[in-house]
Amino acid sequence: MSEPEGNSKQSEAGAGLMQYSAEGMMPFGPVHPSLKEPEYFKLYLEGEKIVQVVPRIGYVHRGIERAAQERTWVKNIYLFERICGICSFHHSLSYTEGVEALAPFEIPRRAQYLRELVAEFERIHSHLLWLGLLGHWAGFDTLFMWIWKDREHILDLEEAISGNRVNKSYTTLGGVRNDLPDNLAEKSRTEVNYLEKRAEYYKSLVQSEETLSVRTKGRGRISQETARKLCPVGPLLRCTGIARDIRDEDPYAAYGDVPPQVQTENDGDIASLMTLRLNEVTDSCRMVKETLEKMPSGPFRVNFPRSVPAGESTFHVEAPRGELFYFVKSAGGSVPERVKVRTSTMANILTATEMLKGHTLADVPVVLTGMDPCFGCMDRVAVVDVDKSREWTIGGEELRRYGIEYYRRK
Amino acid sequence: MSSEELTTLATRLGGTLTPGPRSTVLAVPPDRVIDACTAVSSMPGWYHLSTITGVDLGENIALLYHFWQGRRFVQVRTQVPKSAPRLKSISGVMAAGTLYEAEIQDLLGVAFEGNPFLGKKLFLPDTYPPDAPPPLRKDSDPHKIRKMMELE
Repeated sequence: MSEPEGNSKQSEAGAGLMQYSAEGMMPFGPVHPSLKEPEYFKLYLEGEKIVQVVPRIGYVHRGIERAAQERTWVKNIYLFERICGICSFHHSLSYTEGVEALAPFEIPRRAQYLRELVAEFERIHSHLLWLGLLGHWAGFDTLFMWIWKDREHILDLEEAISGNRVNKSYTTLGGVRNDLPDNLAEKSRTEVNYLEKRAEYYKSLVQSEETLSVRTKGRGRISQETARKLCPVGPLLRCTGIARDIRDEDPYAAYGDVPPQVQTENDGDIASLMTLRLNEVTDSCRMVKETLEKMPSGPFRVNFPRSVPAGESTFHVEAPRGELFYFVKSAGGSVPERVKVRTSTMANILTATEMLKGHTLADVPVVLTGMDPCFGCMDRVAVVDVDKSREWTIGGEELRRYGIEYYRRK
Repeated sequence: MSSEELTTLATRLGGTLTPGPRSTVLAVPPDRVIDACTAVSSMPGWYHLSTITGVDLGENIALLYHFWQGRRFVQVRTQVPKSAPRLKSISGVMAAGTLYEAEIQDLLGVAFEGNPFLGKKLFLPDTYPPDAPPPLRKDSDPHKIRKMMELE
């Protein structure tokens, strides 16, 4: 790698929000697959302190938006849910609701309730997955193992209702693919009651356990002012005290009937993100039970035409990581004219760069995990020491051990 | 901001207003985009910039700036010709738009003057052939681009 542009101590320390260095060679082509979320952060250091962070995105860009223009409306459901392996259902949900808005069809209420049920299952498993990973990066692997074991309960429910744990393909144009299987309502209640108790336990644990406290309190702090400027979404926004949740503000599926209690925290750091997400798990458990209780009987799907009337539709859902945005344009044919996707992580990258500034290299794994990125990019962090004008790369596991050792010595 | 105030804003900026069930479209000339975005984002409450969408319309490229609050989207819309796809960046007044503009620059070839990524790549590889068309334009052929990059 060549030296970055203007790589002097002063220019880096005083650099603006988005100083960009055009170095680095990407190993993927333009029409390569396009998860928008994998990314590459370039960290500029003064000794241990991070003074500038430059993101570089696109390493697994697959051109999904382009591919969507050549596939039918139904085939695209399966394409879009493959954008993300964790919140796959939210992708297909946002796409299908966006397309349905273009056609004059009433989607059955039961289907809307079933969509909300699976969406909340997904939120619970995504938040638990995140907390487990945070435990791993902070050197608390027991927490990681406990939580991932508990997460299996919710994945089992997802498999029981959809036949799959990851790419559920449950929602479809006109409703959902199948009805609630027999006995699943009762099983779901038992499992979410168990998870509610576990969430309470984890809440007391993360607030009292010293390893986590040292690694997360005051780390990755963002202010309300930064949040307003950079427009992050989801928990990253709510942890600064701004109560903004699409399920509440702009309800979709059955959220109008079973709304969330919007959770907020005020500290804006990683510790408050842990509490916030665990509170959201508890609230999602309540919503699952309420959805099952209020679920109306009736059909779960209507036939949807193969051609969608011409028009434009803007839709968004509250994915576990925040607002997931879809813009759909139809010219009246059997394939879309244009589909635009903006994932939550894309909206949060700039905020993540701000969260890292002022911290030490040892904090990078925890702070980056704290924003709940949807990628495994830790192996691609490059480090530049501006004092010594040298540059090297550090792998994910090496960085994790470095962070743990740093705080052990402290 | 009420619909009347939005209509007044549209008139002041030399644009038009098209109300819709979920999204109100404020179409303005390219040189008034910054004014329009600033006015929309300072409307009462907090209109959050969800994203910017680029759409290839054939001769022109449409740029859609989606602002959201409550149950309403306000979409600032403009068009630039494919022969001269340039306009001023909103990143100076709205940092949140920085990466969204950089994405459109990469995929549709629109230059946003003042964006820190101007002339640099965000999504595309640095090895993307300079004479290849932006990959999301309708007249670009993915197979030709792959051949130019010696991937096929």
